[in-house]
Amino acid sequence: MKPHADIIYKENMAIIALIGIIASLVLSFYNGTFSPIPVYGEMIFIAIMVSGYIFTNLLFPQQDPALILLSSFIVQLSLIMLYRINPYSAERQLIWYGLGVALFFISTLASKAWVEVKIGDFFLFVITALLLLSPLVFGVERWGSKSWIVYKKISFQPSELAKITFSLFLADSLKDRKIKNPLQFFGQILVILLLLAAARDLGGAMIFYFTALAVIFAATSRLDIAAAGMLMACIAGLVGYKQFNHVKVRIKAWLNPWEDVPGKGYQIVQSLFAIAEGGFFGTGLGLGHPDYIPAVTTDFIFSAFFEEFGFLGASALIVVYLLLIYRGIRIALSINNGFLSLAALGITTFFGIQIFTIIGGVIKLIPMTGVTLPFMSYGGSSMVMSFVSIGILNGIKIRASSGESNG
Amino acid sequence: MFELLSKISKFVFIFLIYYFLLNFLRIMIADLKEEKTHPKATGFVLVEENGKIYPLFDINTIGRANDADIIIDDPFISSKHALIEKRGSKMVIRDLNSTNGTFVNGKRVKKTIRLKDNDQIVLGKRNFTFLRGERLEAPR
Repeated sequence: MKPHADIIYKENMAIIALIGIIASLVLSFYNGTFSPIPVYGEMIFIAIMVSGYIFTNLLFPQQDPALILLSSFIVQLSLIMLYRINPYSAERQLIWYGLGVALFFISTLASKAWVEVKIGDFFLFVITALLLLSPLVFGVERWGSKSWIVYKKISFQPSELAKITFSLFLADSLKDRKIKNPLQFFGQILVILLLLAAARDLGGAMIFYFTALAVIFAATSRLDIAAAGMLMACIAGLVGYKQFNHVKVRIKAWLNPWEDVPGKGYQIVQSLFAIAEGGFFGTGLGLGHPDYIPAVTTDFIFSAFFEEFGFLGASALIVVYLLLIYRGIRIALSINNGFLSLAALGITTFFGIQIFTIIGGVIKLIPMTGVTLPFMSYGGSSMVMSFVSIGILNGIKIRASSGESNG
Repeated sequence: MFELLSKISKFVFIFLIYYFLLNFLRIMIADLKEEKTHPKATGFVLVEENGKIYPLFDINTIGRANDADIIIDDPFISSKHALIEKRGSKMVIRDLNSTNGTFVNGKRVKKTIRLKDNDQIVLGKRNFTFLRGERLEAPR
């Protein structure tokens, strides 16, 4: 790495730490008396971030340091918000962050050492399908969708892991830049979408669908498939609106939330109030009312962040996400290997579409769908799997830098 | 006390967050500048009959002129003979009004055409093969 860039990266790491220290000091006075707990938490966060950064940089000099820094920045903001809403969830989130950084390292190592194991696209499809099938069989219903597996006190969402295997499946099927067996390939995608729909995870199905479409278009450059896919999405939307009552409710709440404010439009209206309250500079940390917003630690964390950090803070957060996606696309373009390039693209597209869906949902740009905001929402599966994803991107970057092209 | 701290700190946060973004923009601009000065190989190569290998970049002019990207000193080749460039993930070739023409698989290139792996390209009297770079390492 260039020494100049290295200094900037270290400076940025210091900025993340500084934001955290100031925020934790402010939060220490939250209840009127001084309590040092947020400061201790912040110390643990800084220790994880700095050791994660230094350790990975030492072992992989060719890695993309921006990935871990951008994600740590978002996690930092998430921890501040979570502590302010509910200190217990921040504590849990900090543990997930530590685990995430460890898995970031492991998945970097794994994808760097990935020696074209000939597992093949069919096997990857089977893994994805099994992951999505498992909650239907053993799962528990939570928040209207049956996509959780609960073992004792640990709950896990297999669809988060399925995102990675699905990207690998798409990349492996399309690595020769053409669809070898269209009937089988589209059938496999349909099975996966139906499994998601069976768990009533329609937001998830939408994200998987658009990612598949984007990766197919990137691999084959065929406009006809992209156009047909968009048309299918419109038809599926119309059918969903006619057939499923809860889709209808969501879309109605989106078109006119003011019709039924205490009922169907409640979530979105509270989110819009919070955003309006924020203004340009926000109300200031701890002075907003995130307790009015439902599901504030998961789906609506962006509105709570908007309220307290304002339009300027929230738009900066969107730019940070854009930077993360920019790095991902750059990695996908930098490698001359069909499989790895498409895998990087698929993982990045998942991030991009998911971020667009949830942020668009809470600001009422598109109908609300309950998906998590990567690195920001409270939740172990989402956090850990997001780190695994960027770890894979990082491994692909290392392979691209070491000049590997065949495979 | 808390209210005052929070109201002051929000401006500090906005400043720090934007400083963080500015730093990343600086890295991004430095990256893009570097890419401009060191073009990245596309992974495709042009192999001449005599075994000489020319790696292809995003835009490659072929000709006798000193400022062509691939310089071939041959009286039958025009000073700016042909152009091979990247369009999306594919490479295309275009004739630059050369005297003796550009031929791909025996057909004269009139407008821009897409190159496929193992295409035979004839410029003047020189024969080239268009290949993916990875095929070079594999035994043929």
